[in-house]
Amino acid sequence: MNHWPIVPLLLPLTGGMINLLLTGRHPRAQRAVSLVCTAGLLVASLYLLGLVYSGDFFVYRLGDWAAPFGIVLVLDRLSALLLFTTSVLALLTLLYALAGDDRRGHNFHIFFPLQLLGINGAFLTGDLFNLFVFFEILLIASYCLALHGGGPARIRAGLHYVVLNLTGSALFLLAIGTLYGLTGTLNMADLAIRVAASAPEQAPLFRASALLLLVVFGLKAALLPLHFWLPGLYSSAVASVAALFAITTKVGLYAILRIFTLMFNDQGPVSEAASTVLPALGLMTVVAGGFGVLGAQRLRLLIAYLVVISVGTLLAGMGQLNVKGIGAALYYLPHTTWVTGGLFLLADLIAHQRGPHDDGFTRGPPPAQPARLGLLFFLGAVAAAGLPPLSGFIGKVLLLRSVALTEAVWLWGVVLLAGLTALIALTRAGSHIFWRTEGEAVAGTAAGMTRLAPTALLLVLSVVLTVFAAPVSRFTEAAALQLLTPERYIAAVLARGERP
Amino acid sequence: MEALASLTVAVVVACGVYLVLRARTFPVAMGLALLSYAVNLFLFFTGRLVSGAPPLLGNSPSASADPLPQALVLTAIVIGFGMTAFVVILALRARGELGNDHVDGKGEQP
Amino acid sequence: MYLPFIILLPLFGALLPFLAMNLSGRKASALVAAAVTATALLAAFPPLLSVFDGAAMEMYWPWLPQVGFDLALRMDGLSSLFVLLILGIGLLVILYAHYYLSEHDSAGRFYCILLVFMGAMLGVVLSDHLLLLLVFWELTSLSSFLLIGFRHQTAEARRGAGMALALTGAGGLALLAGFLLLGDIAGTYRISALLAAGNLVRGHALYVPVLLLILLGAFTKSAQFPFHFWLPQAMAAPTPVSAYLHSATMVKAGVFLLARLFPVLAGTDLWFFTVGGTGLVTLLFGAYMAFFMHDLKGLLAYSTISHLGLIVLLLGIDTPLAVVAGIFHIINHATFKASLFMAAGIIDHETGTRDMRRINGLWRYMPHTGVLAMVASAAMAGVPLLNGFLSKEMFFAETLHLKALGPLSGLLPAAATLAGVFAVAYSARFIHDVFFNGKPVNLPKFPPHEPPRFMRLPVVILVGQCLVVGVFPSLTVAPFLALAAGAVVGGPLPEYSLAIWHGFNLPFAMSLIALTGGIAVYSRRHILFAFHQRMLPKVDAHVLFKGSIEKLTQAARSLTLLGENGSLQRSVALLLVAALLAVGLPLFAAKVPLTGPLPTSSIDALTLAGALMMMAAALLTVFWHRRRFTALIALSVVGLMVALTFVRFSAPDLALTQLAVEVVTILLFLLALFFLPQASPSESMPLRRSRDLLLALGFGGCTGLLTWGLLTRPYQSISAYFLANSVSKGGGANVVNVILVDFRGFDTLGEITVLALAAVGIYSLLDGLCLEPDANAGGQRRWADERHPLILAQITRFFLPLALLVSLHFFLRGHNAPGGGFIAGLITAVALILQYMANGIAWTRQQWRLRYHPLIAWGVLIAAVTGAGSWWFDRPFLTSAFGHFSLPVVGEIELATAMLFDLGVYLAVVGVVMLILATLGDLSGRCAEAQRRCP
Repeated sequence: MNHWPIVPLLLPLTGGMINLLLTGRHPRAQRAVSLVCTAGLLVASLYLLGLVYSGDFFVYRLGDWAAPFGIVLVLDRLSALLLFTTSVLALLTLLYALAGDDRRGHNFHIFFPLQLLGINGAFLTGDLFNLFVFFEILLIASYCLALHGGGPARIRAGLHYVVLNLTGSALFLLAIGTLYGLTGTLNMADLAIRVAASAPEQAPLFRASALLLLVVFGLKAALLPLHFWLPGLYSSAVASVAALFAITTKVGLYAILRIFTLMFNDQGPVSEAASTVLPALGLMTVVAGGFGVLGAQRLRLLIAYLVVISVGTLLAGMGQLNVKGIGAALYYLPHTTWVTGGLFLLADLIAHQRGPHDDGFTRGPPPAQPARLGLLFFLGAVAAAGLPPLSGFIGKVLLLRSVALTEAVWLWGVVLLAGLTALIALTRAGSHIFWRTEGEAVAGTAAGMTRLAPTALLLVLSVVLTVFAAPVSRFTEAAALQLLTPERYIAAVLARGERP
Repeated sequence: MEALASLTVAVVVACGVYLVLRARTFPVAMGLALLSYAVNLFLFFTGRLVSGAPPLLGNSPSASADPLPQALVLTAIVIGFGMTAFVVILALRARGELGNDHVDGKGEQP
Repeated sequence: MYLPFIILLPLFGALLPFLAMNLSGRKASALVAAAVTATALLAAFPPLLSVFDGAAMEMYWPWLPQVGFDLALRMDGLSSLFVLLILGIGLLVILYAHYYLSEHDSAGRFYCILLVFMGAMLGVVLSDHLLLLLVFWELTSLSSFLLIGFRHQTAEARRGAGMALALTGAGGLALLAGFLLLGDIAGTYRISALLAAGNLVRGHALYVPVLLLILLGAFTKSAQFPFHFWLPQAMAAPTPVSAYLHSATMVKAGVFLLARLFPVLAGTDLWFFTVGGTGLVTLLFGAYMAFFMHDLKGLLAYSTISHLGLIVLLLGIDTPLAVVAGIFHIINHATFKASLFMAAGIIDHETGTRDMRRINGLWRYMPHTGVLAMVASAAMAGVPLLNGFLSKEMFFAETLHLKALGPLSGLLPAAATLAGVFAVAYSARFIHDVFFNGKPVNLPKFPPHEPPRFMRLPVVILVGQCLVVGVFPSLTVAPFLALAAGAVVGGPLPEYSLAIWHGFNLPFAMSLIALTGGIAVYSRRHILFAFHQRMLPKVDAHVLFKGSIEKLTQAARSLTLLGENGSLQRSVALLLVAALLAVGLPLFAAKVPLTGPLPTSSIDALTLAGALMMMAAALLTVFWHRRRFTALIALSVVGLMVALTFVRFSAPDLALTQLAVEVVTILLFLLALFFLPQASPSESMPLRRSRDLLLALGFGGCTGLLTWGLLTRPYQSISAYFLANSVSKGGGANVVNVILVDFRGFDTLGEITVLALAAVGIYSLLDGLCLEPDANAGGQRRWADERHPLILAQITRFFLPLALLVSLHFFLRGHNAPGGGFIAGLITAVALILQYMANGIAWTRQQWRLRYHPLIAWGVLIAAVTGAGSWWFDRPFLTSAFGHFSLPVVGEIELATAMLFDLGVYLAVVGVVMLILATLGDLSGRCAEAQRRCP
């Protein structure tokens, strides 16, 4: 039988645990282990992408217990796409971290693989409570990584992040409990059936649980007004960690997309709530992010707000709950994940080369490698601001094309204006850092290939996404179509495959 | 009985929420602990209130309590322990780094 | 196959000058750049010929069908004209720049960006697809940003570049929206196909927004009033750039777009009034402003604005003849303006300044340049026998024929003449002020000389064109003009003659008025200058722009900080409010009763007492929360009551776990409290308190209602399956435990991973942390110090093996009776902790050197490997197996893989708890270590 769906979970789990065994003894070996298992993840996710390309579902029944009784992993186009996005980002950020970030604190090589375990698990599991468990793994790992390197700024931001998310976890359990108490099941496919078949007098409780889940996932995804933890955390975290966190917000979005296309799909009692609330929420988030970007006085903070904008944009697309919208969002997702990740790494290089001026928009020395960093910044800025010809522009066009102007003046206006805002802010940033310089470059700060290459690669991926825009967007639209026909998912999961 | 159970959950949740909103790390940590107590109770109660029929072999399956919530709560308790421990230690670290135990690292407020 | 080459050659050839620069210096770099351009020009000839044969050359590749984004190129009359201008003048600019750029300008970078810009420009004029056009359009904005900011050491350059990008970028976004709409309406993005759909588009309800959005794009690019102000700022660019961007390319892109979409959008009143009106205003405004500029390039900049206005106005008039005149003027303006910028550059280069109040009487020093400049500016002024004159006369003629304005029709010719007057005036000023008008006033460089011959060559060529075209229009420019205009009008062209002499007619009279009037105005300039100084307020565009950007940024920042003030309490409050709404709204908006059909069971006294106690304890925790130690005791009571609740409602496993966890948790709190203040200051305002109280009551109430709603409802659980199959398929009688280690073993695996992470995280959090025990931490004692009550020590040492036995018992029976890995692990841990407390770290350490990290790792790994074991039997991960074996003495016992899994859980739990508590207990010791390591 096919054991591939669980590989993205067992690989990082064993990797992390082996590194735990090696603690304090063999730092080199630890690095090697992380590298191997992250590279392995990339290979595995590529293979899985191939598996689902044709549109089949792969259901992995853990313990050989049939759904809904046991826990199942479900691999469809969406989860495969996100696994791939994650593993690419992970490998490149890890390479960057190996250049020294991993030595700035303890146990980086334990937290890093387990962070990936949490993320991948969230993408793969088909069981609501199991999703909670993986969220907890993801969170505790991200707590540790966010605090990696120490220092007051990180501790403060980290404390906020932890307290907020612990509260969030409590809410998550409330929602799960409500759903179980009503339906007596935890498997998402089974839930979908029971929710759709539920009696009208259950509806309010279902709505409550659905909205509660939206709050919980919205907190992870940093939607307005639950995004306040993000800028501080991302702008203070160690570069490679901040870059990796570019994906964690997407986990929240994934969960939102999953529950509102599966459990609370348009047959359910909460359909009308979803289709109205989600896009509005997204656009409001974009606006908040736009203001943040414009007001930011440090490069890292600016990029952190770019993440907020991207989250909002994604939700604005997904929230339409139609093929075009979701497809556009799913094309935009890897783009924004990789590019913001690359920008965080670049910001680190810049900050390092500007010495005491760090990443602030002050008149400081020119970077030691103005040409290279300048070129990379230009690339990243164009991609992030959604200017032609890079993938940001294509994503934007796909998004705008997904809904006619006459129906969504707001969407058009907000998305386009957000682009302009990002353009102006990034121009300011670039001009401050690369043009408005004085004095000599700080000696000995030039970055080696070990740092430049991963950064450049992440940003160049935007070009790749542009070149292969056609096949990629075809795939994402197929994924969207798959999401919008949950019957097949449900059938695949609940197919009787019980042990003899 | 159901009403009493609901009331208990409500009270403990309320207390937890109030403490979580305090300005010092220690009360916040206690608040989180209270919240997790309450949530565990809630999760437990979703198996409804069954007296004297633990889900062990021997009880007739029909009468016995719903084992699934119990399993979930057990997991939740353990995870909750890990998280509480983490936040408590983080509070210590925060005091070490920020010099005080205010959640925003601000010194004594007027 | 030629068309893509025309674009790609400069785009990718852009790297060559850069490399050449690094390899063999400036000359090579310039040569390579020129070579690339020349090759592109060659590649342009075959398609050009086919255009002359009346067959536009096309290329088409489908690319992104989802949005109908295809790569389509097309070269018709209009684009071929622009291709020639872009490449021809580009070539001259490259030659000129080689002499203009100083040693410390990086020529390689310059040519690189210039070529990219050239390629983008070619892309704009050759695209046959709206979105593709837009791509190149924005590319021109980006590359011009880099060109204008080329000398980024100066603030002007940075500001000019930023302003240009902000405005043209904004225009680009409007254009994107406009194009997408236009595509939706017409059902295609192919421009060649669009041109046929004019009526459909003009008739459509969305015509107005489409037109306005597209005009916004075009006007920002072509610096039409009121978006003109970026252009003078862009003069901070090196002069070759100005000569290129503001004569033949960048600013002409907007005009090109208007001409390109003319057949689709033109022909309505809206078009006439917006386009014509904007053109007219810009024409007058530019001409007027140009006259008052003291900076040579400033004068040229505003004259450029004015001439662009003229062209836009002509396109706005939208008669075929007007179009012809417009296209003709595009050509002429490109030639004379490029040459003038170059001349200005030469003067700047030779004198070191561009201030016309200082550079006077250069005639004596550089007569050749003088002659060239005179001819060029004469063309700009519209003096007969020069190309400027021809197109201008056609323009005058058009203004006369226009009747659309009815009685007011007379105004247009008047305005045109007035603009003409000023054009002559500022041209006169350019010549007279610079070359005559007394002596130079302390020039930075003196005396100025003629530039090197080859720096003058491009000017000569361009001025030559002005002359030749001016004298023999029909022999030179006529065929191109016909071709281009034909492409725009999209039909047979009306009769027109490019003769120099049409006899004494009104247009000629207007030209004469303009000439004489212009001279007059110039000679009376002092009065006008005084008037301009007094009357017109000085509006400094860049100050305005910079100010507004600053304001915007400030506003954004304060708005952001307003929401995000770095207060955790606010964020948590927001989260809880959101949750409150999420639960509350549906419940209260519900039309159906919350209470379900199930009957409620009766309350017994004991349970009531327990519940009351729990609530009381919780409330006391809150009440005492400032006296932390006391509050902690109350908290522990709550935990205890929770455990009892579990007992009461038939969950023995939970009760055991809760108890064990409770012990450890409270222990942890106590240890932590030892390093924290013993009391919280009362600092929250009454308002804040009541807010929190409200929130607490609200959310608590909501959860209560939720619980009530659930408890009174029936439900169909999947648990029946577990109860039925626990023994037969899970091999265990304790269903909860079987669920934990088998049915849902995966959760458990994840859960011990969480524990492991928490432990390791805590370990690294505590590393190197040095905390002074709180001064008034009464009652508690550090473990590390050596005074330990002997009895306690003895007892615990004796107690340990017992405890271990108990935990073993719980572990073994776990699968069938309350117990299991967790509980056993926790009991063991508690027992070990007792050792620490009683005997102190040091003693315990040397007793058994246990390293907890590997313990945890092995625990998780054992569990995982057990799970993977099922792969041998080609079963999914975690598939369990069990069997009954009879051993001597012990007899019949049951062994299940699940127990192995549970063993992993046990080890992990022990390791975790020990790691956390031991590390924390030893905090001070570790601190000392840390200080030893890094003093």
